[in-house]
Amino acid sequence: MKKYMKLTAAALAAAMALSLTACGGGAGSSGSTATDSGSAATSATGEEAALGGEEVTIKFANYALLESGYTEFWEGVKTGFEEKYPNITIEWVTAPYGEIVNQVINQAGGGDMPDMMFGESTWVPTLVDAGLAIPVSEVFDEEYLNKFDQNALESCMMDGEVCGLPMYDCAFMLFYNKDLFEQAGLDPNTPPTTYDEMLEMAEKLSQLTTADGNKVYAFGQTTSSVAISGSALNSMIFNFGGTVLDENGQLSIDNQGFKDAITMLKTLDEKGYNPQNAKLKDLRQLFATGQLAMYYDQSWGFNGVTTINPDAANFAASAMPLKGGDGDGASMLSGQILLYMDNGDAQREACRLLTEYMLTEDVLGDYIRNITPAYPVIEDMKDMELNPVLEGARDATQNAVNSPSIPMLNDLNLELCTLAQNVTVGGADVDTAIEDFRSAAQNYVA
Amino acid sequence: MPIAKTDRKPPRVLLDKKRGDQLFSAILILPTLLVTTIFILVPVIDSVIKSFLEFKVRNIISGKPGEWNNFENYIRLFNGGKLLPAIVTTLTFVVGVVLIQFILGMTLALILNSNVKCARFIRSIMMMPWVVPTIISALIWMWIFQPQYGLLKYIVGVLTGGAVSDFAILNDPGTALVGVAIAALWKQIPLTTLLLLSGLQNVPDDMLEAATIDGASRTKKFFAIVIPYMKSVISIVVSMAIIENFKQFPLIWTMTGGGPNESTTTLAILSYREAFVSNNLGSGAAVTTIWMLLMIVVIFLYNKIFPKEDMS
Repeated sequence: MKKYMKLTAAALAAAMALSLTACGGGAGSSGSTATDSGSAATSATGEEAALGGEEVTIKFANYALLESGYTEFWEGVKTGFEEKYPNITIEWVTAPYGEIVNQVINQAGGGDMPDMMFGESTWVPTLVDAGLAIPVSEVFDEEYLNKFDQNALESCMMDGEVCGLPMYDCAFMLFYNKDLFEQAGLDPNTPPTTYDEMLEMAEKLSQLTTADGNKVYAFGQTTSSVAISGSALNSMIFNFGGTVLDENGQLSIDNQGFKDAITMLKTLDEKGYNPQNAKLKDLRQLFATGQLAMYYDQSWGFNGVTTINPDAANFAASAMPLKGGDGDGASMLSGQILLYMDNGDAQREACRLLTEYMLTEDVLGDYIRNITPAYPVIEDMKDMELNPVLEGARDATQNAVNSPSIPMLNDLNLELCTLAQNVTVGGADVDTAIEDFRSAAQNYVA
Repeated sequence: MPIAKTDRKPPRVLLDKKRGDQLFSAILILPTLLVTTIFILVPVIDSVIKSFLEFKVRNIISGKPGEWNNFENYIRLFNGGKLLPAIVTTLTFVVGVVLIQFILGMTLALILNSNVKCARFIRSIMMMPWVVPTIISALIWMWIFQPQYGLLKYIVGVLTGGAVSDFAILNDPGTALVGVAIAALWKQIPLTTLLLLSGLQNVPDDMLEAATIDGASRTKKFFAIVIPYMKSVISIVVSMAIIENFKQFPLIWTMTGGGPNESTTTLAILSYREAFVSNNLGSGAAVTTIWMLLMIVVIFLYNKIFPKEDMS
């Protein structure tokens, strides 16, 4: 009996060891399949393969599929495109917004690189530095690229190459609540144009409370520890004519505009106008529920507002970014873009066809008019009707500037958030906080 | 009739009993050794090696090996001014949470062990936070702590008669870590209580009865009998709590992202930021190496201060 027990135990141990070997073998064979399909794709002639009978699958990384309100559009794109090009299939790669870049990087590291990605212009440095995003000139000809707003293309530039194709863009703009303006005795059709005007109006707006007695915040600027908040802060610095980086990507914060912007953040905090340490989604929530009178956001952030309160379009309006100090109210250009990775000619050609299918008024028009409000960047769509809420900031993109792209842009943006938190919730004085920022930020510039 | 002698030889034995047992033991332990080596030792060694290299995401994508960078990752971390505050924050979080977790867990275990009514029901309810995924726990507590419409803000407002109307625990660098610690305690206390309760139930009744007859007070019985008999359980519970809180990441990342003003940036957060925000895997590996060494030192000190004793 003892002998049989020993034999059984040994057999179980051997089975476990074998299962380990089997796992390894599986991974290996999967890896080799990926390589085989990759080389097959590379060997095919792109256009023939994509337009002809050869089956092509585009692996398209897209976080928006997991967000309410966007799924229908993207599934519609897939259905419409696959009907038009029956030999091309779109295969989604999804992960939440905050994880999609790592998902793509990990997948590529494992030998299964997606072909295309939907993302934001601030992701370009990371994906180029990782060796993933390729210049769009490798996918599209010059004639097609010339149809795009050049400022929007430059927002995707890294090391002198445009490495992302903007689908639509916006500048960080001011949204305001016309109903709250009226309640405060202000003209709802005359939003502030400067920070001084905003502070005057904020004094009246901050006296209001909601119907259930909650405080109304006068002005929202995100300062929470996420990279997009750093971009919003950078945009605010541009409002004051300041800079964070010079055109060579070197730290450039010894300017009055930079200091004025940080001082303004402290003032807003001391007066209790700005919800502390808020993410953009917190500001959208407050704006949607009538607890925030004005705030800075990207145009598509308004989708988050209407998801919470579908009636928000009745009281919301947009305005040009505020002018502060010696600045002219310039803002930061921000785009939702498509990025491409090199998996061979057939894949690239299929991605080109998909992009050209998507970036038309027929497919994209309703999306950027009603679902994710934004401004078109391609010539053919320039005259399209905009979402009415965006009319007030129509010229903001013309006055917007691009921040130089550096590989560690995310880190720099997070340091800007830390600076903002230091002068607000941290209670530090502006000069000390700026010096702290300088010593931290120097680690992230070349 | 005499039994005829035969020349039958004893069966041939390839190995004697001792050697056979040793070989059998080795076969049994082989899968465990393989798993430990492949999934723990190799990654740890690989991580330590990478911490001395210039190794970024593009190295993975292109398949190029990292390059020795003359301790640059460590030098940059020590000069960057983020490492030491992260170590202090980590230790503060671990010590604070483990202490409170043990005290509250032991209190609850004693209550549940004292024939309280509905003990089984309370035990079942009490386990709920433990089964909730960590990310969901973080989201629940973020909602409770939400500064504009959160439950805590409302309760503080009511309790102070409206004097404090803007209480925002996660927004203040002085209290944010406390906020995360509350969420961690809510999640971890149930398991601690359950383990301590099982330890309490193994304390021999005859010893307690004898002490009662001798006139020992409850406090005396607790410190002279209960605690010594529970030493091995306590040792395991506290070790588990130290390790769990040392590597706490999802709760902190979801609730504060390391802010405000870096006040909740622990070594776990710093490591993630270096590796997956900066995409500098070498630097992330340097943080995890320091983090691992620190955890080894803490566990070593803990075992030195509280050596295991066998009461049997």
